[in-house]
Amino acid sequence: MLQCIFLLSDSGEVMLEKQLTGHRVDRSICDWFWDHVISQGDSFKSQPVIASPTHYLFQVVREGITFLACTQVEMPPLMGIEFLCRVSDVLSDYLGGLNEDVIKDNFVIVYELLDEMIDNGFPLTTEANILREMIAPPNIVSKVLSVVTGNSSNVSDTLPGATGSCIPWRAAEPKYANNEVYVDLVEEMDAVINRDGALVKCEVYGEVQVNSHLSGLPDLTLSFANPSILDDVRFHPCVRFRPWESHQVLSFVPPDGEFKLMSYRIKKLKSTPLYVKPQLTSDAGKCRVNVLVGIRNDPGKTIDSITLEFQLPPCILSADLNSNHGTVNILGNKICSWTIGRIPKDKTPSLSGTLLLETELERLHVFPTFRVGFRIMGVALSGLQIDKLDLKTAPSRLYKGFRALTRAGEFEVRS
Amino acid sequence: MAPPAQSQRSPSPSQPSGKSEVSDLKLQLRQLAGSRAPGVDDSKRELFKKVISYMTIGIDVSSLFGEMVMCSATSDIVLKKMCYLYVGNYAKVNPDLALLTINFLQRDCRDEDPMIRGLALRSLCSLRVANLVEYLVGPLGSGLKDSNSYVRMVAVMGVLKLYHISASTCIDADFPSILKHLMLHDSDTQVVANCLSALQEIWSAEASTSEEASREREALISKPFIYYLLNRIKEFCEWAQCLVLELVTKYVPSDSSEIFDIMNLLEDRLQHANGAVVLATIRVFLQLTLSMTDVHQQVYERIKAPLLTLVSSGSPEQSYAVLSHLHLLVMRAPYVFSSDYKHFYCQYNEPSYVKRLKLEMLTAVANESNTYEIVTELCEYAANVDIPIARESIRAVGKIALQQYDVNAIVDRLLQFLEMEKDYVTAEALVLVKDLLRKYPQWSHDCIAVVGNISSKNVQEPKAKAALIWMLGEYSQDMQDAPYVLESLVENWDEEHSAEVRLHLLTAMMKCFFKRPPETQSALGAALAAGIADFHQDVHDRALFYYRILRYNVSVAERVVNPPKQAVSVFADTQSSEIKDRIFDEFNSLSVLYQKPSYMFTDKEHRGPLEFADELGNLSIGEAANNVVPTQMVEENDKDLLLTTSEKEETKGSRNNGSAYSVPYDGSSTSVFASQTQIESAVSNPTLAGHSPQASFAIDDLLGLGIPAAPAVLSPPQLKLNTKAALDPSTFQQKWRQLPVALSQEISVSPQGVAALTAPQALLRHMQSHSIHCIASGGQSPNFKFFFFAQKFEESSNYLVECVINTSSAKAQVKIKADDQNTSQDFSTLFESALSKFGTS
Repeated sequence: MLQCIFLLSDSGEVMLEKQLTGHRVDRSICDWFWDHVISQGDSFKSQPVIASPTHYLFQVVREGITFLACTQVEMPPLMGIEFLCRVSDVLSDYLGGLNEDVIKDNFVIVYELLDEMIDNGFPLTTEANILREMIAPPNIVSKVLSVVTGNSSNVSDTLPGATGSCIPWRAAEPKYANNEVYVDLVEEMDAVINRDGALVKCEVYGEVQVNSHLSGLPDLTLSFANPSILDDVRFHPCVRFRPWESHQVLSFVPPDGEFKLMSYRIKKLKSTPLYVKPQLTSDAGKCRVNVLVGIRNDPGKTIDSITLEFQLPPCILSADLNSNHGTVNILGNKICSWTIGRIPKDKTPSLSGTLLLETELERLHVFPTFRVGFRIMGVALSGLQIDKLDLKTAPSRLYKGFRALTRAGEFEVRS
Repeated sequence: MAPPAQSQRSPSPSQPSGKSEVSDLKLQLRQLAGSRAPGVDDSKRELFKKVISYMTIGIDVSSLFGEMVMCSATSDIVLKKMCYLYVGNYAKVNPDLALLTINFLQRDCRDEDPMIRGLALRSLCSLRVANLVEYLVGPLGSGLKDSNSYVRMVAVMGVLKLYHISASTCIDADFPSILKHLMLHDSDTQVVANCLSALQEIWSAEASTSEEASREREALISKPFIYYLLNRIKEFCEWAQCLVLELVTKYVPSDSSEIFDIMNLLEDRLQHANGAVVLATIRVFLQLTLSMTDVHQQVYERIKAPLLTLVSSGSPEQSYAVLSHLHLLVMRAPYVFSSDYKHFYCQYNEPSYVKRLKLEMLTAVANESNTYEIVTELCEYAANVDIPIARESIRAVGKIALQQYDVNAIVDRLLQFLEMEKDYVTAEALVLVKDLLRKYPQWSHDCIAVVGNISSKNVQEPKAKAALIWMLGEYSQDMQDAPYVLESLVENWDEEHSAEVRLHLLTAMMKCFFKRPPETQSALGAALAAGIADFHQDVHDRALFYYRILRYNVSVAERVVNPPKQAVSVFADTQSSEIKDRIFDEFNSLSVLYQKPSYMFTDKEHRGPLEFADELGNLSIGEAANNVVPTQMVEENDKDLLLTTSEKEETKGSRNNGSAYSVPYDGSSTSVFASQTQIESAVSNPTLAGHSPQASFAIDDLLGLGIPAAPAVLSPPQLKLNTKAALDPSTFQQKWRQLPVALSQEISVSPQGVAALTAPQALLRHMQSHSIHCIASGGQSPNFKFFFFAQKFEESSNYLVECVINTSSAKAQVKIKADDQNTSQDFSTLFESALSKFGTS
């Protein structure tokens, strides 16, 4: 079980320490850890689970904050990692984002939260919904309230009803004047296009995000027009398994507020909305670059926020790159970033220019990988469609909203 | 804004920045302590916040303890929480002052707000000061009976904390049985889960001393209890589900229909949003079906999709942990994943430890149908910016070639690598081409043509250089300029820093000499001269050896140095399959991430709460601790071989005197005698080789070492054992882990037995004649370790025995585990009587 949790700033300073068991973990472990991270170059390269001479360490880095947990016993690694991820989610939810200052300003709340989330090294409640009832978030509303009512405590007087209810994710019977439920399909497309321009791999990872503000104990049913295209699914604990098994219908009592109802994966897609054609030819110490970007498969909605990024190989002395559309920037760490935005109607955006190689080099041997970013509002590229959303015992006024969004995940074009 | 973090190890006032502020705070706190003025809580809050923030950044504020406690009389819950936090942090270093806090904490434990009751109780138990435990028992007892589940939940954890501070207080107050009652009857699943985790820890710790505790611990994995948990599993929170699932892995279902029931019940857990639950479920599935090969296979198919989704959905940290598990499964059953190879393609900005895992998996899943695509993909990585990964991927290509798929195309690609003119690519490719040639000599023609074009000056890495030199030597008849390239390398002997390369150079020169003597002779001479003058011992020795063997007879030298070679069929694996199995048994644990079984990295005391002591796997690794005798034994044996029989008689007699006077009875020397006797008897009567109890008995008697009277032969009890019992090692291992120790005792071994026990085999044969079979054995004199098993006659009830015999103390430590606990006593008697006859019959 976890013995201690530390929160470190991006300079390695200990912002918070929470001992969980009787085996006190000395703070010097953080120094060891930080030396280790530095020796690895950057934290991104360091493994999430490392063995120090005295402890096993789990680390999760979010927005420059390192969440570090220590243990001496054998335990399921995902339990440690998942828990730290939840801690960071809950904290950023509570504090409205994560950074050094916000944690230092609200460390009392962070302590309170950790106190409820883990006891004696074993995780308890990690549902933000429930925690919010035990410990009020430090928002403006509660500040105003406390001024008005004179009650300065940020802890509610009652215990969360759900701790005793059989639906642990839902707080007891909220009441809303306007009953609303929003369902968003958010998809990310991962694709790899190889040197010959062939689509090596293309799959979509998607999430069904729900934002529910419904009174009472609502029982919802969500169905898809084409559930058979889903390759694998994972559900929020609220989803009943049987209806899905028998006729691919999501039946659930939702938690209050925003949550991730389901995530899914669809593999073996046949095409991408965009094409990217890089050409690199090099001789006599110079390399000519030419990259074309265009629409391959019109999704029916505008593709916007198109970006292209690639790391210039280390053997390049200087680069002179221009585009006929959008802006090209070469960042400090030799990353070239081309912001295209939308594809214009009249021309095909292209990036061209020359790279100057190191003196002894004739030709380029290391070829960059282009990472593409884009966003399409209103379309789920996998083709998944929501059929309908029903509410058992519908209240008099109910508003239902649906949206879809696709963006590029790991979309790579090799040259 | 804050002073830099300081280690808390030095609470000495070495921080001038903090010191004045601390005394300042002290003053302010003192002023507020007695005040009842309105708004005082707000100013207290500010001060408390400052104190806690100092504490957080590592400034020692323990000197404020008294003041903090004085200020703690408040109704403000946030103030209380901060105060609890402070007290919890410093009570251990200020046990006397901690007494002050007991009062207000105990009062809070009776507060009408359940939240405050719970928090106070939690803080009270977190003080962890040994001399305050008496104050804990009362509040804990009422907390366990509290009407609010939150307080009960805290109280249950409090019991565990109390146990760790003072186990006897906890047991005396009879808390475990209260917890047990709560676990079985409480309506709140979180309370149940906390009880479960607390009881697991308490009973495991108690099990070694108390029979009742070990029985209770067994009851946790009994059928009714496991079913009780499984039926409610959906009500548990996700973390508690992990706990339950972990317990279920320890449960042994009685038949296959039960296995299917459990799997059906848990099937939907595979789609849980929490990755920890998914992995715990997968572990249950894998464990349950271990003995059902075809179902096990289906389980692989079933868990594939959830695992692959987990990899692509989570944060990089989560996907790494899942990927490590996937890696383990892929290595065990690559064919199951061979159609999913695209999931193991590396993404550009993945960290290199992830890429490395993926490369290994790509290598493993390659088969006839996908090799072409996988190798194409791997070749793209060879031009990767990340040089270590580029190297790994070239190595992966080579490994796939060694698996015999599509060798033709791969050889072409490797040869293309050689032409890429990047030094590290060339280096890796050379090493691979060498390995390939060792396996597929038929490709030598194509390869040699390309390798011949590589200038040895462009190859700097020792491994690659050694590979190139090996090829130059091996194929010198096909490479026109081989002798001259080698010659130039010999000329630069002094600049060659790697001993490995110099060794290879010597051998290559020899081979070249046998094939093309006139061209090589002078260079060989130079190489041998340089080698003999070399400061490196191995190089020197090899050169000298070559020189002498050449002088002795050139054709003998050729037979020694350059015999016809057989193609290598399989290259040795780096990790033994036993270790892999063991890691697999520890699925869903850190072992998988480190790729080492847990006994290799965790201390015994830190293993999980339900980890049963099993060293089955260690046996093969050898337990030759405090082992002095063997060397001595070897010496004696050497001497024996040189002496004549009469001389032997004499030495024996004289040494006997020595040992008889100094030590009345010395087991270790007896074993030496026994070995002598054996050799003797082996010489005189080869058919009796192995063990000759008669002779050793006679000698023992002859030496007059004062043998204690052989223990009275115990009358065999009614238990009948199956003479042809069979049990496969994996079942044994599983049972050993799951069953409790029924009996543990020390049996003394007769001196005859000790004398006969020179090697484990002797005892094995003896026990087999008593229908007790051995499954694993190991060790060297004086420590032997055996795992035996026996089966009840005409029943499938098994007895498992771990027996550690120390010949120097003539004692055997026996641990018996049984399917049927009631007959374990009978079996133990039987075992003892069998052991006592060892060496006498």
